[in-house]
Amino acid sequence: MSIILQMRRIVMISVLALSAVSLLLMLLGISPLTIGITLAKGSIFSWLKFNHVLSVWIPLLLCSCGLLFTFRAGLWNIGVEGQVICGAIGATLVLRLDNTGLPPAALLSLALFSSFLAGGLWGASAGLLKTRGGVNEIFGGLGLNFVAQGAVLWLILGPWKRAGMASMSGTDLFPRELWMWVPQGWRVAPAAIVLVIIIFLLTSLILNASQFGLKIKAAGFNPQASRLFGIRPNLICFMAMIIGGGLAGLAGGVQVSCVYHRLIPSISSGYGYLALLVVMLAGYKVAPVPIICLLFACLAAGSIQLPITLQVDSSLSGVIQGALVLSGLLVYGLQQGKRRGH
Amino acid sequence: MIELADISKNFGKVQALHKVSLKVHNSSIHGIIGENGAGKSTLMKILTGFISKSGGDFFFHSESIDLHSPKDARKIGIGMLYQEPLDFPQLSVLDNFMVGTADFSPVNQRAALSRLCTNFGFNLNPESKVEELTVGERQQLELMRLIRDGAKILILDEPTSGISEKQQELLFGALRRLRNDGVAILLVSHKLEEIELLCDEVTVLRHGKMAGYQKRPFDREEMLHTMFDTLPVSQPPAVKHIAGDPLLNFHKVTSHVGRSGLNSVSTTIRSGEVVGLAGVDGSGQSVFLRSAFGLLQPESGRISGCREVTTRAFIPADRLTEGLIPGLTIREHHILSKKSGPIITSKSGLEKTRDAIKTYSIRGTSETEVENLSGGNLQRLLLSLIPADIQLILMESPTRGLDVQSAAWTWKHLHARLKAEGAIIFASPDFEEIMEQSTRILVFYNGSITLDTPTKATNYQQLSRAVTGEDNQQQ
Amino acid sequence: MKSLIFLFQSLVILCFLMFSLSSSFGAESTYPFGLLMVGPANDHGWSQAHFEAGQEMEKVLPGTKMIYIDKVNPADRPGITVPMLVDDLVSKGAKLIIGNSDDMKDGMREAAMTHPDIKFIHISGDDVVTGKAGVNLSNLMGRMEYGKMMAGFTAAMSSKTGKIGYLGPLINAETRRLTAAAYLGARYAWTKIRKKDAADLKFKVSWIGFWFNIPGVTSDPTLVTNSFINSGYDVIISGIDTTEALVVAGQKRKEGKNVWAIPYDYVGACTTAPKACLGVPYFNWIPGYTQMIGNAMSGKWKQEFLWLDPDWKSINNMKTSSVGFKAGDSLGEKVKEGLADFQASLADGSLNLFTGPLNFQDGTVFLKDKITATDDQIWNLPQLLEGMEGASK
Repeated sequence: MSIILQMRRIVMISVLALSAVSLLLMLLGISPLTIGITLAKGSIFSWLKFNHVLSVWIPLLLCSCGLLFTFRAGLWNIGVEGQVICGAIGATLVLRLDNTGLPPAALLSLALFSSFLAGGLWGASAGLLKTRGGVNEIFGGLGLNFVAQGAVLWLILGPWKRAGMASMSGTDLFPRELWMWVPQGWRVAPAAIVLVIIIFLLTSLILNASQFGLKIKAAGFNPQASRLFGIRPNLICFMAMIIGGGLAGLAGGVQVSCVYHRLIPSISSGYGYLALLVVMLAGYKVAPVPIICLLFACLAAGSIQLPITLQVDSSLSGVIQGALVLSGLLVYGLQQGKRRGH
Repeated sequence: MIELADISKNFGKVQALHKVSLKVHNSSIHGIIGENGAGKSTLMKILTGFISKSGGDFFFHSESIDLHSPKDARKIGIGMLYQEPLDFPQLSVLDNFMVGTADFSPVNQRAALSRLCTNFGFNLNPESKVEELTVGERQQLELMRLIRDGAKILILDEPTSGISEKQQELLFGALRRLRNDGVAILLVSHKLEEIELLCDEVTVLRHGKMAGYQKRPFDREEMLHTMFDTLPVSQPPAVKHIAGDPLLNFHKVTSHVGRSGLNSVSTTIRSGEVVGLAGVDGSGQSVFLRSAFGLLQPESGRISGCREVTTRAFIPADRLTEGLIPGLTIREHHILSKKSGPIITSKSGLEKTRDAIKTYSIRGTSETEVENLSGGNLQRLLLSLIPADIQLILMESPTRGLDVQSAAWTWKHLHARLKAEGAIIFASPDFEEIMEQSTRILVFYNGSITLDTPTKATNYQQLSRAVTGEDNQQQ
Repeated sequence: MKSLIFLFQSLVILCFLMFSLSSSFGAESTYPFGLLMVGPANDHGWSQAHFEAGQEMEKVLPGTKMIYIDKVNPADRPGITVPMLVDDLVSKGAKLIIGNSDDMKDGMREAAMTHPDIKFIHISGDDVVTGKAGVNLSNLMGRMEYGKMMAGFTAAMSSKTGKIGYLGPLINAETRRLTAAAYLGARYAWTKIRKKDAADLKFKVSWIGFWFNIPGVTSDPTLVTNSFINSGYDVIISGIDTTEALVVAGQKRKEGKNVWAIPYDYVGACTTAPKACLGVPYFNWIPGYTQMIGNAMSGKWKQEFLWLDPDWKSINNMKTSSVGFKAGDSLGEKVKEGLADFQASLADGSLNLFTGPLNFQDGTVFLKDKITATDDQIWNLPQLLEGMEGASK
């Protein structure tokens, strides 16, 4: 597609979303301008705040990369939330180990690896349910989300509860040396940023420039015909689910080791669902994903300013995100309809 | 009761029906017979109001009427029994029976259902789930629903395909009974035997035109003769290779996929052969091809490549939805079809794609997405995707939708690339194509091979008898 | 192309407006302080009590200005942590930060470490005692044991069935302490005033798992209260931040059931269902806030662990009493009199309910005969007491 067309699309989406949200705000008697300024000031106008944005961006981008794989394979992986939670559990499992004798850096790497495995396992379960059990991945994923949520609640109130306590607030903090290293004046671990950038580049390489990526695409677009090319669509779907789940799990691992430093019930922070919106708005393409993630992260991190400075409920940022995605889908739909019409 | 006078139907330039006239009388079963594409289904769609006619008139009790919508058709009592039952598989028999009635009392409806069952000698449990029933039983349920709704003119589309002999007898009994009660019945079929058993009169359609009309007693030879074109005596292709070693062996293969499935099919394909599969649509040819390629696993029996068939290719009839991957470009298809390294660069497969585009004269560039190609180009692309070392080529309707030139080019290409150690198996609805291109012919009827002959040893008459089930001796 | 130009024009105007506006932001105040509330600011409970005290500060201590954010918990604000919010408040000029929940313990400690120039008050925590806190972090709490004793007393005086339900939040030392205090108050009324057998008093705790309802995570307090009432408990004492117990009791009264509830935390909590409310033990954070913020403003900040008593001369004096008990409209005259006597004997020290012999739930000895508990023993109560039903940890 030509760049001009892409630009036009972006402009159309933003104008549409902006006007919809502005209209809504004016109906509520709030100035859209102040909201915009507040959101911007709360996200990008200071280094610290940008750090907060990054701490949302990292797990969100990881989930989105995972979703790119499953969407390419034609799968609606609604189970991302559960996969994030499982990844968090996997990381916590390693970080709670006593007397391993391993240096903290090794233990942290092991924890991240374990989170990838745990998330991948959860993705694989949804994949197995689909390919073997004939359960649609949407229902399988939703079911597994509940199972994962149940598991984390059980762990927090059961085997992993704090001494003398029974609280849903979470497990004990990990010892300081098991927090991922954050330089003075930073709020986000540089290692996590590097990790997510590598993961994104790999995703981009695999999906856009590899035999495997092409096979995923083929199996997703037309599973029946892909078999004529020697592709086993079920196997490809299964692998996409494992990778997708693994990356979501990695997001959970980052949440545990870099953000909360413990396991809490809402460890996924809803990034799984948010990532679905991101990838939909990106039109299932790889390149726009990190930018849209950044935009959504700005909205999420900046939204906290709304109640602080304006006493407006921060869920407004959710409305803005929703308006963006709806406008995006509308514009894609219109353009596609036009193309079909010609 | 209902009369069609000079009914015509055009789809664009294509004339699907041309001045077809027929009368369906009360207390009479009227058969409609013809090969694929003769215009049977168009006629039925017009009668049930799903499409409107382009010319001609309907008379209902000698009064001119219009059928603009399915509602109009239902109003005058036209009821249609489709090949695929229109029911709700998850619901019970009784629930399905109650659908569409104003009287929603389960007690009344249960009584009505059991009355109809007794009348026709059907044995249906009102509580069973419809998905657990056989096709024949679902048909019975559907039939009773139509009668309950007061159908006076019944249209049946190939009602005996996929049902057991016992159920066929039950169905025929019910139809005769309905006829005696004054119902007018229109029976669409390609089985001469059925027409003979059941019908009072028969109309033969060919290429959208009336080709013949008979009353009892029927003259079968005449019927066959009017059903099929008389073709110029065509020459089968020169046998390039002598049939050699066995390539593919079917041993008592049974499958229940599709309308008729496969019914204990045994045959051996040898190298050097070009095998044409003939038969009415859905008689087992496509299941045979898909099983041969490995897309379908047989329920029983064995398919084996006697000599190591390392590679085979399959080109399905629906090229874009089954054979190619819309959304991918021509180059991406070529990358997929060839084993290459894990990383794709901007050069991967480019040379091969350009070659293919040139040799196969595909109208497009390497970056054209395949959904933008036309039928002939799609077929040429599919042919170009078959790697050179492929031995066994399986094709379904290889020239469907192609103009004469493209079709000729396709066959020229196929014959040219056939190697002594390879074979081609293709299914086609077109006798002419089969007679002209194959060296051996297999005729499918209801899931079985009813005729297996070298092309040289058969003729057009024998083929037409075989596909209509007249020649049921196993080879 | 035209639309593009238009877009750029609007962008330029937007930027222009933004800068002109941003300069007009930020009214001057000498001492802004931040308040992080775990629940909504209007919860008729724990967070509202803090919110209103914070508002009051602006009057009591001229020059202060409250910047607040409520619903600070991972379920309501996914991905947002306490240290992040502290960064925000500090960048808005806050010089002192109050974190009002036990749940913020780790976050407050971490934030205090990264912002050594800022003063921190962590409500209900004990990092100062355990020595985990830096010098810029203090703890503040009221002696709610007394309020809970009064609640237990009122409950046992009013109960017809002798079955008292306690809607507990999560289990930790604080909640064990307060639940035990309520039980001691109830047992005192039951055995000493009503002269009944202690064995006939049922006192059961059901924990929901957090300070308030998080759908899908905690047990639902509404359901828990309902099941209490359905199994014959006629007074429900709430230990959670919100008012579900009172709401349900109000509904049940309308259905004709003779049940009551005792809410918690906020002086105005009874207004939700006055007819069903026997009274409310509440926190008044004004004295504590005034002392700590006042000190910090005048440069006299020192690390403290404040566990403030009620003002026994007048426990409902909003200027001086950190803990109060406001009797409800539905409280009978006789009970009111009994309560006054009870309060008087607590006030003059003639009655200390944490006096032996007292056993733990598992039968081991907590306090021997005539021995009174130390502050440390009460603060860190390791188990529920004998006679109470419900999980201890």
